Amino acid sequence: MLSGLDSFAGRLIGLSALVGTIGLTVAVAVILADVVGRSLGSPIQGAQDISQMAMVILVFGGMALCDRVGGHVSVDIFEKFMPPAMIRAGDILSALLGAVIFLGIAWTVWESAALSRMLNLSTNIINLPKAWFQYAMIAMSLITALGMLLRAASLTLGQSLTRETARS
Amino acid sequence: MSSFAIGLIGMGALLILLVLRVPVAFAMFAVGFAGIAILNSPNAAMSLLASESFTLASSAELVVGPLYILMGNHATETGMSRRLYDAAYAVIGSIRGGLASATVIGCGGFAALSGSSVASALTMGRVSLAEMDRFDYDPRLSTGVVAAGGTLGILIPPSTGFVIYAILTQESIGRLFLAGVLPGLLLLTMFVLTVSLLCHINPKLGPAGPRTTLAEKARAMTGATPILLVIVLTIGGIYGGLFSPVEAAAVGAGLVILIGILMRRLTPRVFWNAAKSSVVTTATVMLILIAAHMMNPFLALSQIPQEFGAFLADLSLPPLAVLALILAAYLVLGCFLEGFAMLVLSLPIFIPVIHQLGIDPIWFGVLVVLTLEMGLISPPVGVNVFIVKSVAPGVPLGRIFAGVMPFWLAMLVTLVILMLFPDIALLLPNTMIG
Repeated sequence: MLSGLDSFAGRLIGLSALVGTIGLTVAVAVILADVVGRSLGSPIQGAQDISQMAMVILVFGGMALCDRVGGHVSVDIFEKFMPPAMIRAGDILSALLGAVIFLGIAWTVWESAALSRMLNLSTNIINLPKAWFQYAMIAMSLITALGMLLRAASLTLGQSLTRETARS
Repeated sequence: MSSFAIGLIGMGALLILLVLRVPVAFAMFAVGFAGIAILNSPNAAMSLLASESFTLASSAELVVGPLYILMGNHATETGMSRRLYDAAYAVIGSIRGGLASATVIGCGGFAALSGSSVASALTMGRVSLAEMDRFDYDPRLSTGVVAAGGTLGILIPPSTGFVIYAILTQESIGRLFLAGVLPGLLLLTMFVLTVSLLCHINPKLGPAGPRTTLAEKARAMTGATPILLVIVLTIGGIYGGLFSPVEAAAVGAGLVILIGILMRRLTPRVFWNAAKSSVVTTATVMLILIAAHMMNPFLALSQIPQEFGAFLADLSLPPLAVLALILAAYLVLGCFLEGFAMLVLSLPIFIPVIHQLGIDPIWFGVLVVLTLEMGLISPPVGVNVFIVKSVAPGVPLGRIFAGVMPFWLAMLVTLVILMLFPDIALLLPNTMIG
């Protein structure tokens, strides 16, 4: 059952990374087009708004894959002095703590998005509704938390799950 | 229990989590959140979690990071960075540690382009680490030189560190930028000397390559021309007023992609790999930055930085000794705090002391920015070291810290030189602005 769930989570994580990659491509394309357009006398209106919101998508789009590929930075100086059980306990703690953090981000941003909708908060120039991007951030944070919870469960049960690389 | 005691307990908890190999970002999130919840309220902590996450992820200034990461990844994937280092190696590779010295010089050039240490370490790491590995450099030297060289980003202008210092102390940004030029070049020279010294003591660290003929040098330089053109265009674009740093980064990334297509090296698979890798690295870096912004309000509430400042001000010591103590405090705080947040927390306390002692605030600004740089590579949470770790995941963190130490000592020597000879920092602003 755990491997079935992991396979499902893997697809969600892949989708999240794809969305993040699209965000990055949009940021580059819009800024480039703005520079070229400005030199021709017609800059893109709201280029900064678009690039900032694309940044939200790319940052949180990559979080789940970052965790999946073991991309988070940790201090491994003391690892060789630690017994395997302690290392495993630290890994489980890390996964659970990460899941709680991303669930916390999702929860607090959910409340913040409700406020954004109520107050019609939007970007400065072309009025992109902030709530859209906050909801995307929530979805991607939940995917990240799901991946972390599955890792915690697999570590606790002693099962090994897929570990991808950033380049696969 | 006092706020200060809670702050100290928080720092202890942070260290325990780090020892247990909990990711740095998660540990800072947990301690920062709990600390704010205790010292202020759980609602304040929740509110900060939502606001900092979204605000930092949508920061206009930080867009520059992923764009430079993408540029570096595409340059690496399409083989352009390899050609750049082939050229560097053809020119100075026949001396011991030549490629590491070329990396330092590249970091200096990139620092003049980006103004960000993190972006410098990321981009130069992406470009240079694989190449130094190819030429059998010891990972301690290759990762150490990238982490240390990256710190030049906040000393060599344009520097975001000087901008923040200027805003907090109401000093002239122009004077600070000019004051950073000679110390930046001095530090760059010290790094190159450190590489030479290390490779002289242990030649295996950075092996000397075979001598190349003039024709080989010319061929290697020709091969590197496209990426050199990209660098010249982006740097020239910034100083010529054509682009902002963010725009220069996008232009650089766009040009590298275009050159890759023209050279028929950029397939959809290569593009996807480079973009996906960029997204993952961006996520790693941004989560640390967001976590640092959760940690800092907790420290401000706990009064730890303020207590440090008050303690130093109360000592009846000569100005140079007080200055040394203040910088020592920055070095200690720099091991745990994100540099800019440290400035925001501490300068309001230290600047009145500096004025009272008659110390030139421009000179002090240069010294403080240099100590911030040292914090970027100091254990246990030197951000640049973690950035390099994210680029070179196969190298244990302990090895990277070991590789960084000689450069940290070089920075300490530079700091002492700048303390003893303030004119190195003040010469340009005093002669050019008055």
